[in-house]
Amino acid sequence: MKLKIGIYWGAACGGCDVAILDTHEKLLEIADMADIYLWPIAMDFKYSDVRAMKDGYLDAVLFSGGVRNSENEEIAKLLRRKAKAMIALGACAQLGGVPGLANMYTREEVLRRVYLESESTTNEKGIMPLESSKEDGFDLELPRLYNTVKTLNQVVDVDYTIPGCPPASLQIYSALGLIADDMLPKKGSVIGAGDRALCDECARKKGEKTITRIYRTHEKLPDAETCFLEQGFICLGPATRSGCGSRCIKSWTPCRGCYGPLDDVSDQGIKMVSALASVMEPKEEKDINALLDTVVDPLRTFHRFSLASSILRRKKA
Amino acid sequence: MKRIAIDPISRLEGHGKITIFLNEEGAVENAYLQIPELRGFEKFVEGLPVEEIPRVVTRICGV
Ligand code: SF4
Ligand code: SF4
Repeated sequence: MKLKIGIYWGAACGGCDVAILDTHEKLLEIADMADIYLWPIAMDFKYSDVRAMKDGYLDAVLFSGGVRNSENEEIAKLLRRKAKAMIALGACAQLGGVPGLANMYTREEVLRRVYLESESTTNEKGIMPLESSKEDGFDLELPRLYNTVKTLNQVVDVDYTIPGCPPASLQIYSALGLIADDMLPKKGSVIGAGDRALCDECARKKGEKTITRIYRTHEKLPDAETCFLEQGFICLGPATRSGCGSRCIKSWTPCRGCYGPLDDVSDQGIKMVSALASVMEPKEEKDINALLDTVVDPLRTFHRFSLASSILRRKKA
Repeated sequence: MKRIAIDPISRLEGHGKITIFLNEEGAVENAYLQIPELRGFEKFVEGLPVEEIPRVVTRICGV
């Protein structure tokens, strides 16, 4: 029987949706495998169509994007009720992703910067988004922007996760195959990815790592073959799940961790700090700390995609 | 006054809804396009090392 699926996005960029489209001719196979009942980027179904469905009507929902406002949460909960399997698609749904970096600030700091202070904003009357307002006598509503960006599993029960920013297209295709063939692993599993660290599939040569200095990417040219980390460039490979196809590494760019942590690691960024400390030449705590202190912008380096899911979570209110 | 919501608007990148108000005769009195989303890149790229900007701002729109 043909699958019934929904595809939706919360605080996202549309890249996960495009990754589905980037399966190219395999899209025709996906169309044979599944009928789509919601997909805002590509089809015209409305929330009212989803509300009219019986609970559990959809076999699976692929939800990309984090939960940033009350609408994201409301639709996530609605889709959870309508779906037999809720699947977090991509780093934002799984970990908060890049938009989760907003947790470094309060809601008010974000709103002020965007609507009042940014160099390209002209807003003489200081108009701010309001949850309810009256325009010429007409009542209008907007969702509430949350103080904290949340991951999908912080608001609803998530059955499976397809990681990546964006997930590799063929990985999405193979994950859909698992649903269609009724071959899904145990609930809670990551699908469409590897189960080892990126370093295990990375083609760069690995030797003894004894880092004496941290380099930013413009400070020296990396050599073509050696592991980035060994050369002093921060690379999140040791703390990141494999499955991306080393696409950044192959483009001469150290990994920033979009495929998220391995199983049983709760905080990818902290895992990376500990991996880094263990490959430094200094062995005394104070010397290790001194070298770690030379990392510029550690929070957005180690938790580039995972701040909202980390034990740090957000700036203190 | 009758109210029609087109929610979400579709086949584009991003979130949006259109609210249309109809008068007693069923004619359009007014219509509003609203953008219910905000992520706040303008704030959280402040102070980001310049060499990291390209692969952060590419997450503004992936289409
Ligand atoms: S640290 Fe980076 S460059 Fe080195 S082996 Fe791991 S993924 Fe490859
Ligand atoms: S190398 Fe790292 S940041 Fe790049 S696609 Fe792979 S997991 Fe994502």
